[in-house]
Amino acid sequence: MKFKTFDIVPHGTTFDFVGKRRIAVTLSLLANLAVLVFSLNAVHGLNFGVDFAGGTEMEVKFAEAVDPGAIRKSVEDLGFKDASVQTYGPESDHSYLIRVGRIALMSQEDVNRVIEAVKAKFPIEGTPHFNPDVGDKIDFQFKGVPPSPDALKAVVEGANVKVREVREEAGLTAGTRSFAVITQGIQDKVERDLAARFAQAKPDVRRVEYVGPAVGRELRNQGFKAILYAMALIVIYVGLRFDFRFSPGVIIAIVHDAIITLGYFVFSGREFNLTSVAVVLTVVGYSVNDTVVVYDRIRENQGKFKGKKLSDLVNLSINEVLGRTFLTSFATALSLVGLIAFGVGTIFDFAVAMLVGIISGTYSTWFIAAPMTIWLEERAERKKGAAPQSVAASKV
Amino acid sequence: MERSWYWRLALVLGVAVFSAYQLVPSWFYFHLPPDKRLGPEYETSVPRWAPNARRHLNLGLDLQGGIHLVMGVDVDRAVKAKVARRADEIGDFLKEKGVAFDSSAPSADGTRIEVRSADPAKVESMVMDHYSAELYAPTGEPQGTSWFAFKGKVIQDFQAKAVEQAEKTIRNRVDKWGVSEPDIKRKANSQIQIQLPGFKDPEKAKELLGRTAQLEFKIADDESPLLDPVRGELSACPVGQDGFFQLPLPDAGCWSVESVELPAGAQRQVTYLAANRRDQLEAAIDKHARPKLDRDHEIGIGEGTVGRGPVKERYYRSYLLRAKTELTGDYISDARVGTDNSQGAGKPVVVFTMSPEGGRLMEKLTTENLHRRMATVLDSKVETAPYIQGKISTNGQITLGSGRDFQTMYEEANEIALVLKAGALPAPVTIFEERTVGATLGPELIKKGTTAALVGLLLVALFMVAYYRGTGFIADVALALNGLLVLAVMSIIGSTLTLPGIAGFVLTLGMAVDANVLINERIREELRTGKTVRKSVDQGYERVFWTIVDSHVTTLVAGIVLMQYGSGPVRGFAVTLIIGLVASMFTSIVVTRVIMDWFTRGDTARLSV
Repeated sequence: MKFKTFDIVPHGTTFDFVGKRRIAVTLSLLANLAVLVFSLNAVHGLNFGVDFAGGTEMEVKFAEAVDPGAIRKSVEDLGFKDASVQTYGPESDHSYLIRVGRIALMSQEDVNRVIEAVKAKFPIEGTPHFNPDVGDKIDFQFKGVPPSPDALKAVVEGANVKVREVREEAGLTAGTRSFAVITQGIQDKVERDLAARFAQAKPDVRRVEYVGPAVGRELRNQGFKAILYAMALIVIYVGLRFDFRFSPGVIIAIVHDAIITLGYFVFSGREFNLTSVAVVLTVVGYSVNDTVVVYDRIRENQGKFKGKKLSDLVNLSINEVLGRTFLTSFATALSLVGLIAFGVGTIFDFAVAMLVGIISGTYSTWFIAAPMTIWLEERAERKKGAAPQSVAASKV
Repeated sequence: MERSWYWRLALVLGVAVFSAYQLVPSWFYFHLPPDKRLGPEYETSVPRWAPNARRHLNLGLDLQGGIHLVMGVDVDRAVKAKVARRADEIGDFLKEKGVAFDSSAPSADGTRIEVRSADPAKVESMVMDHYSAELYAPTGEPQGTSWFAFKGKVIQDFQAKAVEQAEKTIRNRVDKWGVSEPDIKRKANSQIQIQLPGFKDPEKAKELLGRTAQLEFKIADDESPLLDPVRGELSACPVGQDGFFQLPLPDAGCWSVESVELPAGAQRQVTYLAANRRDQLEAAIDKHARPKLDRDHEIGIGEGTVGRGPVKERYYRSYLLRAKTELTGDYISDARVGTDNSQGAGKPVVVFTMSPEGGRLMEKLTTENLHRRMATVLDSKVETAPYIQGKISTNGQITLGSGRDFQTMYEEANEIALVLKAGALPAPVTIFEERTVGATLGPELIKKGTTAALVGLLLVALFMVAYYRGTGFIADVALALNGLLVLAVMSIIGSTLTLPGIAGFVLTLGMAVDANVLINERIREELRTGKTVRKSVDQGYERVFWTIVDSHVTTLVAGIVLMQYGSGPVRGFAVTLIIGLVASMFTSIVVTRVIMDWFTRGDTARLSV
């Protein structure tokens, strides 16, 4: 039976992937290095979202167009020097993302002022405690006869800080009583201020995210750890299923893909947050798929063509499965089109970064993973003083 | 066809029908406008033949609006407070025993108790004699000082209790707001995660930070007939055959009676009100009970449970109390679970210690109210109402109702001990993370998300048909079943659909097609070598099987790591990814094979691939 198909990628190609490895590896090294250098804070840095940097982020939608500069000015007037305002989603949405690096409204000067005022009136014990990482709250301890919560509130408000609540907490040392003064928070203040300044544009605070800096740091560390764990587990799995000689190639390929995906966030300046970690992890898991297909074929061919040079074997294997490597990546990329066209915010970034990861994964399969394996094999053999036969076919 | 094919066909059809059936509640759920979904309209709209109405797809907080909070319990501060308090106690203890000492105070870092005295050796032996269960005497103290510190296990235990207490307080306050389906759980590192779907007032959520309210003791007035007329106004609570209430109770609340022993020895049927939710009960009380009260009485609200197993369903019920607060928790210095061996076998009881002043008040109170029920009210909720069985002074014991197994009673005793201590030593709580999504954002995201997903899936499906024609269509059928299966599993295990979850859904379907691309390409390759269609199909599936498994497993590994790491929306993504990958192994290998085998059954079969 004569069999005819339409192939996007013709079969029987004989590209020399292994031969191009020097150029490819140099290019990849440069690209990876660029991403890593640019991700350093001193050079350019990743734009960490509140998830990782800590702080407060508010998504505000207006009924009509508002100048982002004016929004920023009004937030800065409230005392946030580091406020950033960006348009969120399409221009016609009039949505803006306001970000401030702090989670406490009070600055250290405000706190000192309050402490002085309270000290002048009541017998404070020890140093009052204020932690900007925790929020708008000052803890006081009093010796002897403590003030009533109302009196304390009056004194703090006298120092020009709006108080939401004063409450008693468990005393720390014998004979003292302790109070927490909770002052008005950022969200409250910004929301009121915007409503007053842009009354005709009807600001609607649609989403507020607030993450303590300590928590942010923890999430960031855990995120990077998670990526490393996933990589390690995948490498171990591939090593067990195939051959540990393949492992270095896999490691290099997934590190390469993870860094290139990170590059999207570095160079586009888009927010790097929890969802971004999810993308990098998914890329790490997915990009191995193509590599697995090629390795499978290499293993199959090793049995078929005993004695063939490994580099030829690899070239042949990559060429034989060229079509499916391309098509699988293409099909998965196709599913992302809708998300890129209609997705907003994090989902848009998710889809684009995933696309970058898929492309990088395909590239690294062809030019990095398999060729690297040969390279390492050849090096090992040169060191050994070299048998002519490069690799004995492995049986798994 | 071979026999095994029919079995496989039955399996595939079974899975398809099962998935569709499981999605019936979700179908009705999403047919209602968002504001009605949490109400009773939903449960009544689901037909009787459908599976459990509670198993529907849930929208994550990012899609339906609400608040996600992570609170940190400051256990270090609670420990410091405990050390400080113990230092005071030791001072009192030494004074009582007539041992001379200069001072008893916590160390600067709050980890030790330092007692200065002329005779540290004596102080140490006295204190250790009495407190050796919890304290040890660290070495290295300077001249004229004795050091004491809590044992590591005691501290750990206490920290765990502090978090438990904070969780209890939070749960209690959330209940008062009447949020439907709140989700409160303890996480690692003394953190508590709170999810309040549909809740719109972030400032109000700060109430959760408040100090645990006062613990009060009040006497239950079981003799008063004040509430009896309610029986004429409300319906009686439905009782099942097992003697428990049949939930859900009517929204308007209902009445029931309990048999109570009076001090005189007689039994009385005491009326109380009950409802499913605290806010419903409060409304019922305002309407039916409060107008009947005099100045000396008030209504307390407590909880009741239905069922005997570990999974109990809760309802809320009222207690008629004397308005006067007889005693407050400030007088309690300690409470723990003990065993009572007076009646032979050990029975868990709650043992508590009052301060000397509290002991005097307690003695008076218990003498006057012997055999009445005494309610412990924490944060305006009746936690327990045991009978006063004897005079209590400094050391009291709460005996629990009998007739249950040891474990249940132990848990209950532990719970009550926790409550008694709660007033004494609350750990401060701070907000670590707060994410609020307003009501206007969700619907827009859902709309955009579904459009994006549909466009992506349509493109993938079209591509498959265009490129592989017949077999492409088979892959599309499998793809549809894959989507159905993922949604069905999600609704069965009650996981939530988040915005990243939608992206994960699309992505896994895109990846699922990969498997079919691999299979089809392999079949083409086999055909090229001149094999028959039948043989090529067999070889195609066989050769590619392990490749598909390997590539799925690597992505699964990433998904599982991500699930361990992320919370909220990202976790939603990971869960969707994992379910999708597992489902895809089934649909892309088993389902397509069944269809493919049918079309290539003869030796001369043709196949468009």
